[in-house]
Amino acid sequence: MDQFVQLILAGLATGAIYALAAIGFTLVWQTSQTINFAQGEFVMLPAILVLAAVKFLHAPLPVAVLMAVGGFLLLFGFGFKQYIVNPMARHGILPLAIATMALSILMKESAKDGFSAEAQQFPSLVPEGAIQLFGATLSLRDIAIFVVAVVAIVGLQLFVTRTKTGRMMQATAQNPTVARILGISTEKMILLTFLINAGLAILASFLISPVYLAKFSNGEVIGTAAFIAAIVGGFNQVRGALAGGFIVGLVDNLAAAYVSSAYRAAVPLVLLVLVILFKPEGLLGSKEERTV
Amino acid sequence: MNAHVNLPASGPVLKVDGLKKHFGGIKAVDGVSFEVFEGEILGIIGPNGCGKSTLFNCILGQLQPTEGAVTLDGEAITGLFPAELNRRGVSRTFQLLQVFPNLTVRENLILAGQEHQGSMLSRLLGPKDAGLTAEAEKMIGFFNLGHLADSKAGGLSYGQQKLLDAAMAFMAGPRLVLLDEPAGGVNLTMLASLKERLEAINKEQGATFVVIEHNMDFVMSLCSRVVVMAEGKVLAIGTPAEIRANPAVIEAYLGH
Ligand SMILES: Nc1ncnc2c1ncn2[C@@H]1O[C@H](COP(=O)(O)OP(=O)(O)OP(=O)(O)O)[C@@H](O)[C@H]1O
Ligand SMILES: [Mg+2]
Repeated sequence: MDQFVQLILAGLATGAIYALAAIGFTLVWQTSQTINFAQGEFVMLPAILVLAAVKFLHAPLPVAVLMAVGGFLLLFGFGFKQYIVNPMARHGILPLAIATMALSILMKESAKDGFSAEAQQFPSLVPEGAIQLFGATLSLRDIAIFVVAVVAIVGLQLFVTRTKTGRMMQATAQNPTVARILGISTEKMILLTFLINAGLAILASFLISPVYLAKFSNGEVIGTAAFIAAIVGGFNQVRGALAGGFIVGLVDNLAAAYVSSAYRAAVPLVLLVLVILFKPEGLLGSKEERTV
Repeated sequence: MNAHVNLPASGPVLKVDGLKKHFGGIKAVDGVSFEVFEGEILGIIGPNGCGKSTLFNCILGQLQPTEGAVTLDGEAITGLFPAELNRRGVSRTFQLLQVFPNLTVRENLILAGQEHQGSMLSRLLGPKDAGLTAEAEKMIGFFNLGHLADSKAGGLSYGQQKLLDAAMAFMAGPRLVLLDEPAGGVNLTMLASLKERLEAINKEQGATFVVIEHNMDFVMSLCSRVVVMAEGKVLAIGTPAEIRANPAVIEAYLGH
């Protein structure tokens, strides 16, 4: 029983990371019809950038973090939209998606060749350790990951639904033509979603790297999981991505313990196939609608 | 009565002069001229595909006209962006539904009435409803949408969305509203109330309307003057009575 509780918490912690990545993925899809196949690499890179700044520039850690955050927002928030999405979007959804695949390979190989092929320690704000609760041993880091991610997601949700800018973002996703007529600067709103996506990726990166170490190939698992989470949840809904992230995280961890760790990676895919077969619009999704 | 007859000195609110819009070989709008006077309700009728919606798109700057000029209060507005015209008090409704489907009726209305300029910071810190909740409530009551105020707009029936669309066009307190088939898909009871609402806003706020509509009874009873279009050109302009008696109009509708 206590093992089960531990697995649930670990599942919620990984699920929270997947949810962060899946929500960013969904936001960017909604406002700009970009399917970002580099989403996993977006989560991999910020931690590597921090370590690279420490190693090559001998920057103290806090400075390295600031440099990584600033650089990543500029390159993969603003730059990604301006220099990859905008020029490619003219050619359609598919060429754009393929461009993001190319970007994912470029990011992965650059991290490998430019920094390190080995997994590296990444400093954690939360000390290692555990607390006892209901007879179960709960990792402090898992709890911290879960709490930080949930606070970020709730904050984002409040921003999107309760502020004027959030409503303008929703309007841009739901009906860009009318949004523009009303005077909403849709370009700025789209840029904002790209910056939010980059911000969520940074957060996910800083949360997961202390646990799984920072490695160039981290994006593969996270990217696939986020993609599956987004589809399972309904692809075009933030709350769908959130639910999808947690479901994939839980299934992932429970399957590793109770089924077989060898098949661990396959189980979310099985889930994906089931959803596509029985509820192709996603668990929470609705057909042909775009929502923030 | 003919509102324009009483207001000849003030000049037209809107003047469309020799407007043309060609899509390749298709002459969708082909030299249209007319004037709209302060406080009047001008109807535009004509067969499907005669260029009515295209004309609206050109007036509102969603399409750049091939030729011709549009003036608002004597000032050239040809080619200005829709958002700029919106700021000058011109708004529109759409022939095809154009609401924000996943926002509630109230949120749709508030969004339509907001000033969207200003800095990111002022928007973030300012009140989310921009003080428009009261105005939205008024419109909700006015268009009988009270029971639907907190429903998602996408879940409303076609006719209800049409009413919401009209209500949204009035949120910013416009001087001139272009309505593209506001009665399309609206049932008879609602139609009567829509007409009544439009007349009330026209009187109370002194707003000027241009209305595209296929429903003849609706147009003829609502409008002070009617423009008849056919194949991108103006076939006739006159009072409802004059239009009904015009042989060319009867030909255009009954012939072809
Ligand atoms: N963007 C466009 N590109 C090419 N042709 C267009 C475009 N928009 C409209 N047209 C053509 O212009 C003509 C006029 O269309 P428009 O929509 O203005 O007609 P309408 O009078 O509003 O018709 P309806 O009563 O059916 O709404 C049609 O032949 C239409 O196919
Ligand atoms: Mg039309």
